[in-house]
Amino acid sequence: MPHAKPAPIIHTERLLALVPYISAHQGITVKNLAQVFNVTTTQIIADLTTLWMCGLPGYTALELMDLSFESGFVSIRNAPTLKSPRTLSKEEIISLLLGLDLVRESSPNNSEILNSVAKLSQRLSQKAGVGARFRATNPVASTIRSDIESSLLKQENLKITYHSLYNDSVSEREITPLELRIDNGVEYLFAYCLDASAFRVFRLDRIQKLTIKADRLKAVKSQPVLMDQGFTSQICIYSRARLMKERFGLENAPLNQRIAIQAFSRQWIIRSIFASSASAVLLEPSDLAREIAQKAQLILDRYQAHSPA
Amino acid sequence: MSRKSERLVNLTIALLATRRYLTKNEIFRSIEGYEGSDESKERMFERDKDDLRSLGIEIEVGGFDPIFNDEAGYRIKPESYALDLGELSSSDIALLSVAARAWNGQAFNSVAHSALVKLQSIGINSDIDSIPMLAPRMVVANDELVNVVQAISTKSPITFTYRSQDLQNQKRSIYPYALASREGHWYFAGLDLGKEAIRTFRLDRVEGEISVGKKSAEFEIPEGFDLFSQGEDAIGSTIATLDVRKDKALALRKRALSICEKGEWDQITLHYVDETSFLDSLLWHLDDVVVIGPTHLRDAIVNILSTIAVNHASR
Repeated sequence: MPHAKPAPIIHTERLLALVPYISAHQGITVKNLAQVFNVTTTQIIADLTTLWMCGLPGYTALELMDLSFESGFVSIRNAPTLKSPRTLSKEEIISLLLGLDLVRESSPNNSEILNSVAKLSQRLSQKAGVGARFRATNPVASTIRSDIESSLLKQENLKITYHSLYNDSVSEREITPLELRIDNGVEYLFAYCLDASAFRVFRLDRIQKLTIKADRLKAVKSQPVLMDQGFTSQICIYSRARLMKERFGLENAPLNQRIAIQAFSRQWIIRSIFASSASAVLLEPSDLAREIAQKAQLILDRYQAHSPA
Repeated sequence: MSRKSERLVNLTIALLATRRYLTKNEIFRSIEGYEGSDESKERMFERDKDDLRSLGIEIEVGGFDPIFNDEAGYRIKPESYALDLGELSSSDIALLSVAARAWNGQAFNSVAHSALVKLQSIGINSDIDSIPMLAPRMVVANDELVNVVQAISTKSPITFTYRSQDLQNQKRSIYPYALASREGHWYFAGLDLGKEAIRTFRLDRVEGEISVGKKSAEFEIPEGFDLFSQGEDAIGSTIATLDVRKDKALALRKRALSICEKGEWDQITLHYVDETSFLDSLLWHLDDVVVIGPTHLRDAIVNILSTIAVNHASR
């Protein structure tokens, strides 16, 4: 976070936010209030005690805010001055604007929503004076995520149409969803695949279609998804170090040196070497290197055969 | 800590409730918590003003009375203090709440949460049933995003270490103009002070912290600046013609302008901008893709394939 605020400032901010929140939620429990403000109930009670001492100059019963919370339910009276929530900060506005981008993206065909989002975005960006300098998108269709979330909640199985990048093939499978996870900017679904009878990890942006199966076949206990052991390969990088580092998931990518990489799929290695456009070469295992050479020759032959003369 | 925040809350209430400007003396006399010598009260008040301003509360100075000795007065205007987004319906509140919740667990989580609490304090119920079930999700691989946003909104320069194409760590200083995500990556762009030109950066290629300069309003952001029409993107695109095997190369088919069936293969056309990265994506598809044209693209791919064949032949 940029320039963390000192404790009394954060405290004041919370006190000022508490008054309008309680005013709009008279009778809320201390426990719920603590949850909303992300602090302990002890802290909330300390906050309420402090607020109880606050009010207009004079500080008699007439001017002080009137809080009651001994019963475990919080209500506030005589707090007209602070009753309205504070104006949104620039950062709060930007966070909402970016969020609204995703709402717009997730309902492309709902004109009612699109109109409301456009209206709200315009008001917000006018308030902050930031124009259209921020834009968010997400490669995952929002309906796919919301279906997964609801199936996780209701413990239902899913039928998915999935595009596997390594095999470049589309398959249909029935899965029991277990957990949504975000790793390094990518959203994954951990699931038990009934077709493979094994735990599998799916990237949300590769799920093309999804239907909820109301009939759940059997319960699967959640457990960590074990990867295959994989095998070690040796590669050498000649150029475009940053791209190769990202492609092969390396800590570092020194040029012209043997680098050991861990791989789980021969398909993935072969495709990755080709897609490196000769910036990287596979040294070992040698049978895999030979396969790459043969494949390259095969494609070359096709180009020769189809020479446009 | 609670004495100080208690005083700040009382000061806010007094300055908000007053219809006229309150002088310092009135404040010291009437608001609880100002104690000690005149000098120490004075110091306390100066700090309190700064603290409230750091919370985004605007304190107005004015009310100089020409008849009496011209002592400055202070107040907070309710219209600048209070949230006002115009008329909002229950479904507007629901949409804004969904927007705020999209940050759940990601970079702006706490900021979006405090916005959400404010929205829920207006007194309009959120009518979540009035909008379809949505689960938008913000995904950010690098929390330094927060600093870029802050710098753009205050127009402050930023300095950071960037991994160049050849993996050298370079110190870069820019005036940030815009931030946007595309295909799962976040980018920001601005005037690179070292190169004296507009440059685009990928957020996950930044090493370590992005530090925001102290000064604000240091530059103007060009009107209508569009992050994705900079640099390479601005140089127009080329159309390629490819043969792709039936049911294969889905990633390329998605981008197709036209698809023409011819038996075991389909012929597709598509736009590309950067030839090098386009070649990478063609080669990923191995023997499921054949470049038909343009000739220079075909020649380039044949060249790379020959190199790959030679490089792996003698292993």
